[in-house]
Order: sequence, then structure tokens, then C-alpha cells
Amino acid sequence: MQKHTRLTPASRLREQLARWANDTELGERTARWIARVPGVLQFHLKVKLSRQIPWTPLRRLLAEATVAIVATGGVHCCADRPFDLKTDASFRAIPRSATTEDLCISHDRYDRRDAERDLNLVFPLERLLELEVEGVIGRVAETHYGFGHTDDPQELIAPGREIADLLAAAHVDLVLLVPA
Amino acid sequence: MGLLAREIEARGVTTVALALVRELAVVVKAPRMLYLHWPFGHALGEPGKRDQQRTILHDAFSMAAAAPRPGLIVDLPYQWKRQKYTPVSDWTAKSEAFQEGLAQALKEK
Repeated sequence: MQKHTRLTPASRLREQLARWANDTELGERTARWIARVPGVLQFHLKVKLSRQIPWTPLRRLLAEATVAIVATGGVHCCADRPFDLKTDASFRAIPRSATTEDLCISHDRYDRRDAERDLNLVFPLERLLELEVEGVIGRVAETHYGFGHTDDPQELIAPGREIADLLAAAHVDLVLLVPA
Repeated sequence: MGLLAREIEARGVTTVALALVRELAVVVKAPRMLYLHWPFGHALGEPGKRDQQRTILHDAFSMAAAAPRPGLIVDLPYQWKRQKYTPVSDWTAKSEAFQEGLAQALKEK
């Protein structure tokens, strides 16, 4: 029996657009253009970044480090409230014990068919758990964080601070950020 | 994505961000970024391809340990669906692809 992640239904138009972008060259080029041109422009208009880029060198060897995932592909526990597909800057905590069947995807801006078959593409928790067993990484963190699609990038700053505090309090050494 | 990385790093936690849109990675200026020219929704690769997914994690871990300064974008050369992946033999050594990507990123201003 195949184990599947469940998908929050998207509108048929959105679903078709996402598949077109995934399956055809013109679709892919169009989707990239949208991400690149209006996406970058919007970022310039809305976000004021400080010139200085924050910097924290890795303080432990990988084999001793605690690793967490922060993913923006709309992954959350099915038991939690789904993300608003239009735009949503809130986050959901995902425990390390969550299995593929416990998790849902609420996001309609990418073709989720492959992620539905293998959630590791957007949320590589199973891969990290294997690496913990193999001793490659020290520990998989107790809690990971999922975000959905957000129209206004500026809105991510406050929740970003919130998860930053939570990750620091949990003594996480390394965060892997996975986009959709 | 990059904004989240900046907030987390500012709080004292090391971050590595995967990126699928290079132009966006350039403007967001996250502390450490790995760019893959792969379709959306596939940052770790193809479904069921464990070696491919582990290759990306290996490079991400190399980036966490080896990036010498903030704001670098390392381009990974893996071709979508046209690349052969072998199991990662040594997780403490950097892959050739990553080393070349890092050297290239360091050359650019």
C-alpha cells in the first residue's frame, strides 16, 4: 500500500496552471519569468533589507549538530489548520515524529504531484532521520516549521523572528531552508 | 525563504537555504545559498531518488561548514533528470560539484 501525503484541494485553474508549468517548457519558462521579474520587483518594493547579512558560523561538527528543517512548500500536520491558499504568513510546527501520512500540503503555486509521492522533495524529514541513524548528523531537531505561500515577503519577518527564537531555544545548530 | 534564513541566522543559528530562482536568491541575500536549476516543488530532486536527495543534503552540509563569508550563492551543476547520482561515500569530504561551485562563487564579487 502506498502511503500518501494529502493535498488541500486547489482550484482547478490553479492546479492546471501548476501542471502546465511543471510539464511543458513554455509553462516552465513562464513560471520562472513570473518568479524572476514581478517576484524580484515586488521584493525590492516591499522589503528593506539591512546591508549587513547576518552570520553565524557552524559551531559544531556535523556529526554533533542538531538539524532542523524550515520549508515553504505548504507542509503541515493534517491535524492543524491548513494554510490559506491565497496568502498566509503564519507557520505550523511539525514534530520529528510526524509520518508521511500525518502530513498535508496546502499550497497551490507549484505542481504537488511529485511531492505527494515523496514528501522529501519539499520536506526532507525522512532523509534527515536516516542520517541521524547513520551518525552523519548529531540529531534531528524535535520540531520543524512549515510555511505556505505568502504574497508579501515583508510579512514573513515577524513569524521569521518567532521561529528563530524557538529554534535557538531548542539549541538547533543548523537549519536547512527548503523552498517550493 | 531567504528572509527567514536571515532572521534565523541573526538569532545565532547557522542556515543553508536551497534556491530554485537565482535572481530571487541574488536580491534576498541569505547567509548561505545553494542554487539548483530545477523545477518548482523539487528542491531535493525526484521522487524516490534517495541518492539524488542525499547528494543535495551532502552539499548543503558542506556549505554550512565551508562557506567563508555571508551572501554566497553556490550554483550546483546537477542537470534535471540527466544526471547520474552515486551514494555519498564520505560525508565529511566535499563533493567535486560543490567544490567547483564554491570556487566559482568566490571568484565573483
